[in-house]
Amino acid sequence: MLRLLAITLALCASMCAAAQTRATPMEAIAYVIGPVQEDNSQVKGNVTFIQNDCGQNVHVRILLTGLKEGKHGFHIHEKGDLTNGCTSMGAHYNPQKVDHGGPDHEVRHVGDLGNVAVNSTGILDVTITDSVLSLTGKHTIIGRGVVVHEDEDDLGLGNHTDSKKTGNAGGRVACGVIGVK
Amino acid sequence: MSAIKIEFAVEVRKDDSNYADTLRKALENMGRLEEIDLEKGRVIIQTQRPWSEVHNLIESTGHKAVLSGFGGQSAVAVINTTGSVVDRTPVQGVVRFTTITNNAPGMVVDGVVDGLNPGTHGLYVHESGDISRGCASVGGTYNPRDSPPTERPAGDLGQIQADADGRATFRFVASVLEVWDIIGRAVVITDKSKISSDQDPKNQGDERIACGIIARSAGILQNFKRICACDGINLWDERNKPAAGKGRSQKL
Repeated sequence: MLRLLAITLALCASMCAAAQTRATPMEAIAYVIGPVQEDNSQVKGNVTFIQNDCGQNVHVRILLTGLKEGKHGFHIHEKGDLTNGCTSMGAHYNPQKVDHGGPDHEVRHVGDLGNVAVNSTGILDVTITDSVLSLTGKHTIIGRGVVVHEDEDDLGLGNHTDSKKTGNAGGRVACGVIGVK
Repeated sequence: MSAIKIEFAVEVRKDDSNYADTLRKALENMGRLEEIDLEKGRVIIQTQRPWSEVHNLIESTGHKAVLSGFGGQSAVAVINTTGSVVDRTPVQGVVRFTTITNNAPGMVVDGVVDGLNPGTHGLYVHESGDISRGCASVGGTYNPRDSPPTERPAGDLGQIQADADGRATFRFVASVLEVWDIIGRAVVITDKSKISSDQDPKNQGDERIACGIIARSAGILQNFKRICACDGINLWDERNKPAAGKGRSQKL
């Protein structure tokens, strides 16, 4: 899987090399960590972002342990501000001020990456490819926050009043700041 | 140095009508008070003083206060020994970076760091915000202009002094860096008295004792929440814990 990704990236990078100046993919990383829970479990891990020269897709590899089984909302939040823990990271990153949605919806926040599904091991290793996120330009996600939510994101399709704002994904179980790699 | 707009959330009873006067009096030498909204518990001030000083004055009136917004483009790094937000590390601090005005180059660096050994420490911006291996993985000192090792790279912010209690409070202008340029990178604090084995010439070989990622921070009027959604810890209780390593509460 990773190898395939590497090959794809390398291919894309070499295709772009002729037209563009930069041949190295841009990388970012967020070390994500949550508070120790009552049952001594703790969510932690790395989320890495790779964007090649073409500037279109961002590949997001999510490696987390300690999550409860089930689906969890996974979003980029507007700020990376940890001064009041995950709370001060603000709302979903939404520069266009539109409704909340799923990652493959036409209308969505830039930061809407949907859900991650965790099995009974609590270990998650998944790579998402997203065409809306960017590590460069006006809507860069560098310095913003990655937040893993307690509950499932209803992708804006639920009946709850918060559905169109947050996907009603509940509290924030872990978060981290997206740093330059 | 130009004034910067700072917003505090202050814990106050809505019907405490005398409090606005008390607050005005306490802050009269601090700058221009733009707003006191007791209904929302919000105080906004234009000041040239470090926010920690304003903060102390507000709290000296017997009310708890939390810094909730910082004017201009701003960034914040939460500093501790691991770089991520974890409980009870020996060093704990917050460093804020703000633009001066829209035209002036440079940025204001304002911070409080607790739990340091008394004496001189180095303050740096490092090139990477990768804290997956703690402060070791944030790369070298940020050196955008490729300064030779004999010169100070732009990321060398100079020295800070910790007092006898281990607290360093500082505010200065860094004229060769911009806020937008350092977002996503890391702040590193080094101990000048300890020289590490991996003599990094860019870092003068100082040992990295604490770090944090420089993140986009909330601006004025952007922090509305008063209760942490994750564990229900009230903003006021969370703030009440000392910023130092010893009694620091779980932050998330």
